[in-house]
Formats: sequence, C-alpha cells, structure tokens
Amino acid sequence: MINKKIHQFITFGYVLIALNTNVFAETILIKNATIYDGNINKPYEGHVLIDGKIIKKVSTNDMQGDFIIDASGKIVTPGLIATDTNIGIVEIGALSVTRDDSSEIYKIGFSIYDAYNPNSTLIPWNRSNGITSALTIPQNTSSPIGGLGSFFVLDGELNITGKKDMVMTGSVGGDSNHSRSEMYAVIDDLLSFAKSINQKDLSTDTNISELIDSSTIAEFMELHPRDVIALYKLVNNNLPLVMKAHRASDLLKLVEIKKKYNLNLIIMGAQEANLVKDTIAKNKIPLIINPINNIPGSFDELASNIKMAGMLEKADIELMFTAPRSHNFHLIRQGAGVAVANGMSYETAIRGLSSTPAKVFGLEKRGEIKSGNFADIIIWDADPLEPSSMPEYVFINGKSIDLTTRSARLRDRYTTDPEKPNTYRN
Amino acid sequence: MTKFIKYSTSLLLIFFSFNAEIAAQPFESTYSPLPAVNVLIKNANIYDGEGNEFLQTDLLIQNRKVTAIGKDLPISDNFQIIDASDKWVTPGIIDIHSHMGVYPAPGVRTSSDGNEATSPVTADVWAEHSMWVQDPQYALALSGGVTAFHVLPGSANLIGGRGVTVKNLQRNTINSMKFPDAPHSLKMACGENPKRVYGSRQQAPSTRMGNIAGYRKAWIEAEGYLNRLNEYESKSDEAKEMGYKPTRDLELDTLAGVLRGEILVHNHCYRADEMASMIDVAKEFGYKITAFHHGVEAYKIADLLADNGICGALWADWWGFKHEAYDMVQANIAIVDQARNGTGCAIVHSDDAIGIQHLNQEASKALSAGLRAGFQITKARAMNWITSNPAKAAGIYDQTGSLKIGKNADVVIWSKNPFSVYALAETVFIDGALAYDRATNFYPSSDFDVGIIRPSKNRTE
Repeated sequence: MINKKIHQFITFGYVLIALNTNVFAETILIKNATIYDGNINKPYEGHVLIDGKIIKKVSTNDMQGDFIIDASGKIVTPGLIATDTNIGIVEIGALSVTRDDSSEIYKIGFSIYDAYNPNSTLIPWNRSNGITSALTIPQNTSSPIGGLGSFFVLDGELNITGKKDMVMTGSVGGDSNHSRSEMYAVIDDLLSFAKSINQKDLSTDTNISELIDSSTIAEFMELHPRDVIALYKLVNNNLPLVMKAHRASDLLKLVEIKKKYNLNLIIMGAQEANLVKDTIAKNKIPLIINPINNIPGSFDELASNIKMAGMLEKADIELMFTAPRSHNFHLIRQGAGVAVANGMSYETAIRGLSSTPAKVFGLEKRGEIKSGNFADIIIWDADPLEPSSMPEYVFINGKSIDLTTRSARLRDRYTTDPEKPNTYRN
Repeated sequence: MTKFIKYSTSLLLIFFSFNAEIAAQPFESTYSPLPAVNVLIKNANIYDGEGNEFLQTDLLIQNRKVTAIGKDLPISDNFQIIDASDKWVTPGIIDIHSHMGVYPAPGVRTSSDGNEATSPVTADVWAEHSMWVQDPQYALALSGGVTAFHVLPGSANLIGGRGVTVKNLQRNTINSMKFPDAPHSLKMACGENPKRVYGSRQQAPSTRMGNIAGYRKAWIEAEGYLNRLNEYESKSDEAKEMGYKPTRDLELDTLAGVLRGEILVHNHCYRADEMASMIDVAKEFGYKITAFHHGVEAYKIADLLADNGICGALWADWWGFKHEAYDMVQANIAIVDQARNGTGCAIVHSDDAIGIQHLNQEASKALSAGLRAGFQITKARAMNWITSNPAKAAGIYDQTGSLKIGKNADVVIWSKNPFSVYALAETVFIDGALAYDRATNFYPSSDFDVGIIRPSKNRTE
C-alpha cells in the first residue's frame, strides 16, 4: 500500500512539475475526454488544448500538444464556481478573531476584498474538491442591504487574482427584532435616495457628507461615504444584488422592488420559490438554491421541498447552487447530485455549478470550456456529482494545481510509519 | 394487639418498598407498530448489515420479522410480492446522533429545547421530555430510509442528560415513539462548548481543566449515592424497616445507572487528547464509554478506541466551524473502522436533519476516502457504519440493525445501490409493516404539515 502510493505520487508529481515549469512555453492537451463544456450542449468526446492561461481550442478532431493527458473515459467540466461563501475571510467559524466578514462601521459599502487570505486552508481544500473560483461575501449585518462581495480565483497566489466589490448583498425575512415591512421601507428609502444621487455629488467627501445630511434615511442609518458610493453603483452600474429571502410573499416583493428600481436581482435561498415560480421565471430572476435543503427551518420556509430544483428548472429559471458551510462548499456537487436524483437534468446541474454563475455575475471568460476562456478545468476520476468522486487534475488559469491539502497530509501522517511517534512522521 | 399492629405495619412497609423497586421504570414505551404485512422481496441485491452482500436474492418478511434470506424462497398465498430486480435492500438506517424533536423544525425559540443550559451538570433531565412529536423532520428522515434514531441532549453541558432511542414512527405521545427495551443513554460533552457557555457567564467550567473537574466531581457524588443505595439494599428486611431509605435524587439516579452499567455513555468530544483523558475519567470511576461523538480527531487515536471497545460516531467531512474541528481527515471513519485489524467500531452519524436523510451518501464519501487512503473495505462492510454499528451503540442490536433471521423486519428497498447519490429509498418497512412507499405516495405527515400553507393541502403536496 505504501509503495504503491509513493509510486503514484512520483508519477503524478513528475507530470505536475513538468506541467508547472512550462506553463507559458508549452501547450497541454487533454485528450479523449467526455466534455461537459458548460454550454447547453450535451456532453461529447473531444480534446481541449490549453495554451498558457487560456483554452486555445476545443475540438472533436485530433490536435497536437506538448504535454498530453489521456482523459479517456473521464469526465471533464469547467472549474466549479462557488456563489456565496466566506472562503478566504473566515478561517474558523466560532473563532471571531479569524472572522473578517462583518463590520460595525460600514453597512452597504462594507468591502471584504482587503481581508482575503490566499493562505486560508479553505482554499486548497475546496480547490482539490473541484472549486476553482469563488464569490466571497460578507455576513449580513444590520441593514437589509449590506455589504459588497468580491470574486476570487482560488489559485492561492499571494498576488490575488479577483474582481473587487462586484456584488451587493442583503436579506429580508423573519427577524426577532424587526418587522419585514420595516425592512422593505428601509430598502425603498435607500434605493430612492440612491436614485437621487448625481455623479457630481460624489466628487468630494464634502459633497457626499452634504448629501448624507440632506437625506433622512442616510442620516438615520449613519451612512458613510463608502456606503453612498456603493448605493450609487447599485442603481446605476447594474451591480448584481444577491438578496437572501425564502418566503413566497417576500420573493414577490423583491420582484416588485427589482422592477421599480431596475435592479440586477438574484435571489439566494428562495426555499418557497416553487410557489411563485411563474413570476420568478417571467421576470428572469436567477436563483441560488441549496437543493438538498428540504427542511422547513423557519416560518419563512414552510414550502421547502426536495423536488424544488427540478420543478424550477422546468419553469426555465436559471439556477445556481449554494451550500451552508464554506469549509465544505465543494459539497455543492453532492447537492447538485441530489437535485438530479429528484428531477433536475444532469446538464443543468453541471451548468449551475459553472457557466450559470459565470454568466449571471459577469465573470468574463470563466465557467465554460470554450476557446478564448481562462483554462479553469477539472478532470474527474468519475461522475462529478457522485460525492465519492474526486478531481484527478485541477487547472486554474491553465496551471495544473498541486492537489495536496493539509487534510491529506494529516491522513498520511496517521496511516504511515506507525513505529515512529506522530511528531516525527512527515 | 400491638404485636398485630407492628406486624401489619412492617408488612405494609415491606409491601411499599417492594413496590417502589417494581415501579422503577417510569415513562415506559407504549409503542405499537403499524399493521403487519407478509412480503417476499424478490431478486434483490442485499447488504445485510453484517458485512455480507447477496446478489439476486430473496428476503422474506413474516410476522414482523425477517424470516428468510435465500434464492427462490417458497411462499404461501397471503404474501405480497415485491419484484426488487436491479434494486438494493438494506437494513433500516439508524442515526446514533439526532436532535430531531428537541431541536425541531421550524427552529424557533419556543420549541428549541435540546440544551438545559442552566447548569453544567444536568443529569436529571431526559431528552425525551423535550421531544416535539409533531416535528415535520421525522417523515423526511423516513424518506431517507431511517427506521430508528437516537435523540440526545445538546452539548452545552458537561453532562447533558439522558438520551433516548426512538422508532421513526411519529405518534402523538413521546412514549409511543420510544423503542421498547432500549437502554437509556447519558450525554456528556467535552471541549469548547461547555467551557464557552459557562465561562462566558463567569461560571465554572471556563477551561478544559474545569471541564474535567466537573465530570469527576459529579461521578464522585454518584459513587457516594450508589454506595448508600447498595448499603441500604444489602440490609436485612428488618434493618431496612428500621433505617431510612436514601432519598431518591433524580440526577444521581442517572449517574448511578451509568456506574451500574445500565445507561450507555455517549460522549461528544473532538480532540484526540481530550478523548484520551475521558477514557481515563471513565476508568477512574469504572464506567464504560460506548461512543465518542463527532471525534474529528478520532483517527489520531484509532487504536486506543479499538482497544477500549469505544465506537466513533463521526461525520464524513464536517470541519472548521470550531477550532477543535480543524484537523479533519476524510478517511477518519475508515481509519477507526480498520484499527487493530478491523476490530474498530465506526459509525456515520448526522447531528443534522438534512444529513440524516442522506446517511447512505455520507457513508459513501467515507468509504471512498478510505479506499483512497489504501484500505480494503467493501461496500457491504461500510453499510455496517449506518446499520448494525449504531444499533450496537444504542443497545438495540439484539432487536434490529441487520437483516438476520428472527430480527425485526426493519428493511429499506433502494432504487439503486445505496452508495450512489442517485439512490432513493423506495419502500421502508418498520417491524414488518409498511411505513413509507414512494411510488404510491404513502408517507406519514405530522400535524404541523396539515394545511400549513394552503388549508386544503399538506405542506409538501
């Protein structure tokens, strides 16, 4: 057992080193793969040519490449995209000193971008399980609209590749201290205020302060200039707004708000979406759902149903996936598997993990295996929706990533060299 | 005359004290099963929960028991036949760690009764008394093939109270769900939770050393109580009538039950060093730990657990929510299972109302991680992790947990191999009665589900 593992490691390591040292000089050809390219196509047998960071070509015809990976019988998908995580900004949930996901000073304009830690253990762990990039968002704070999320490529490089403050977040629903109609009033007042802002009002801090002073809601909510700038972008720059809500009546209210302010609205959670699916479909609201969650966890989620994913797909609603814990956000593929077991089509599930979030959030050149896109690609050892499967290769920006994780090293430490004390093993 | 009074008085005293012993089992189970069916499950692929796999084999359910497993079983006319060709059959799944009922859905303050977090040692409370029988989560677990589960208090306290094993057939009283002749358990918890809950109130414990002192002090009291009880019991009848029976103490009753070996200890504990300490505490007072729960670091001391006959009730991959849950290894369950030449006891638990519905998938993840770590483990053996092993840990293995002749017919028919994410539980029998059938939409619904959204429809219709 030990010898076989060392042999495999050496072989894999050789290929890895070879692939890494020649990233920009030579091409990588993934041959004979069963390709789910993230488009609406059915899967097909084909080849993918990677050149530098980019997918140079995808074809069913033979191609030449400098390094060849034979992916016969293997499924290849785009790298999975996490939609709603705290990857990089929270290390241990219950340890508040490792949490950078909330602010008491800033609300709407709170940005987590500068808190991102490329050395977080959540990154290699999620990455080795198939997630190549992530939308990291703040915890919801007191405002029903609160906080900006950012996009990160999970290459773990200290020189971060990402897109700063590209999504606004918020939530409405049952709360022990606030009526939800109060939340809607706050949202309406804030967005109305946002609409009234002219660009020249933002030109200096003094101007912004005057703007805040002149607005009851801005003053009452103690908005800072950062919050005001974020509001302006929300209503003028088509910034995606991810609102967490579950109850059918709340989903309808959010649709009204979207229409009134012409927002780029995405709803997260949406446990009762099935009750209002026609309205959601008609207004083309994409949803982020947790398809394995059929628990009526609150009075807002009474209609929770494990068949929801399949039913929403049939209503032509764009669907993406979330998981409750960022430490194992990769389990979105298990959730997607459950969705397929309960009525969703396989291809829609794969898209929900890749091209749909890329499209909905404007993640350019990500989420699909197609010529010109960044080479975020996974070669799987079996069906990616089976939780027993794992990636064999993870490419991010064309580079094959070392799949070692702390967890695997701990496993190896406790399954080898039993005669040595644990501290003297590898 | 006085002699007669003395005589009859002592007779009465003996009578009442004798009855006090007999009436020592309050809250007895009043479980009665659903209508029995006689069923031939034909041509199925079977994992029996004893590590065996039978392909294209029949299974007979008769008079509430599994009565035969074999090819071409003969039957009489009153048998229903289910053609299970290409389908899989397993024992009913058992979750050894659930808070359904005590933390029901919806998760609101008024019914969140899983932690009596008013004192670090609450051995007097029994989790069953916090159960809401109308929790809509039970039926969802049934649709995932769960036929029995073990409800525990939470982990806010060092000693949280008694746990209870229940059949997954909700009724309108707690006793009617209780698994007959199942032992009680005692929930203990080490690590961050108790010291955080009480330390934040400036109370003991606020450190791990405070935790350990807390358990030991409780066991010392229990020892004293048990000594007094034993001393009283060993007296002659005459002496008993002259002396006072020790006043019953609800907390110490439970702890003494552990020391007498009647109540099984289930100990929430994450870190290897703390699990080792808890084993020492158990040795100091002569009790047995039946299982460590969560045990994210169980793999580091898998041999120690096997040597002490302690089960690890673990997750496939949860981690990172607390510092003590940081060193997760996906092969944890496999390493515990395979310790000491495969004599370890590994269990996949959920501690989650969603996870309980997919324990077969969690076992699949744990199995594949074990295979990747280089272990040779069959699917048939991995099925034990969610059937016979939790049955043993719950003290009900003599009744259920595996498909053996003469045991309860708690049986699940799956649409595919249960280790696949695409497998659905199609039919579930509990005590040889039909409890769930997907194709005919036969399933229980709680009162909570009735008309809760639209008056004329149930919640999931």
